[in-house]
Amino acid sequence: MSDIINRPGSDEEWEDLMRQLRNQPVAQPRPFFYARVQARLVASAGAPRQWLPAWLRQPAYAVLLGALVLALSGDGPALTSAAARYHASPPSGLKSLPPR
Amino acid sequence: MAYSLPLFVTSESSVCAPVSASAADEDRELVAQLQAGSEAAFRTLVARYQNRIYRTIFSLLRNEEEAEDVAQEVFVEVHQTIGRFRGEASLSTWLYRLATSRALKNRRKAQAKKRFAYFTSLLGGNNDVLHEPPDHAHPLALLEGQQQLQLLLAHIARLPDQQQVAFTLRHEQELTYEQIAAVLGTTVAAVESLLFRARQTLRKHVQAPLRHV
Repeated sequence: MSDIINRPGSDEEWEDLMRQLRNQPVAQPRPFFYARVQARLVASAGAPRQWLPAWLRQPAYAVLLGALVLALSGDGPALTSAAARYHASPPSGLKSLPPR
Repeated sequence: MAYSLPLFVTSESSVCAPVSASAADEDRELVAQLQAGSEAAFRTLVARYQNRIYRTIFSLLRNEEEAEDVAQEVFVEVHQTIGRFRGEASLSTWLYRLATSRALKNRRKAQAKKRFAYFTSLLGGNNDVLHEPPDHAHPLALLEGQQQLQLLLAHIARLPDQQQVAFTLRHEQELTYEQIAAVLGTTVAAVESLLFRARQTLRKHVQAPLRHV
């Protein structure tokens, strides 16, 4: 192991690194940035307003929502009560059969 | 930690402190004109802030195309929501808030997309290598000059959102602690804490290889 760990240059190295960070080449948007912002504004103003939220326009979510609506629509209780009615009073045709 | 920035502006008297009085007056005037629907004022706003906003976003994303895209989104949002700006914080604070929150949102989206693409590639849908190839460079190889800076940038990108924003605004945009606190909607003490933790983490990772030379 070298003497780097012992030398007092650790803070200096850090400061040097921070200086490098500040002195990086200045990032700038490409020319005619304003024109592109304007074009985007015009496009967003002309875009038709969606009446459904974006997540609901995904087929997977739409199918899931449909399944949920079906599950909660009340068909289950209706079928149960119909079955119960069937068992409580059998169809009239069965009554006329002779007992075995 | 999830990081989100509200659209509304908070009332912080210190926000305007580092901004010179004339600049603050100019911005107030500009906001009034924007709210009156002046296109010339919007052009002035873009010209005045495009570089600062772009640089802030670029320093969080490190990608020119994405930075350009997000910077455009910021100015479009300003145009669409300037009516709701009540002037309780400075215009620059509001713009920095929009820029940092949109940049982070964009990054989260990109990361989620990358994860999804990676899993679909595992399922055999695509044979392309979608995950980032591993970096085989030994830490010792990253010591010199520019490479050490790259190592630092890589670790800045891995900081928690708030620490990353605070560190970037301080060391790349050279904002004051008060300005950073206003952008993050927090106190100066909290910013000091965020910066302390960020520096500690970065120094540990960036300077660790030096100890093995």
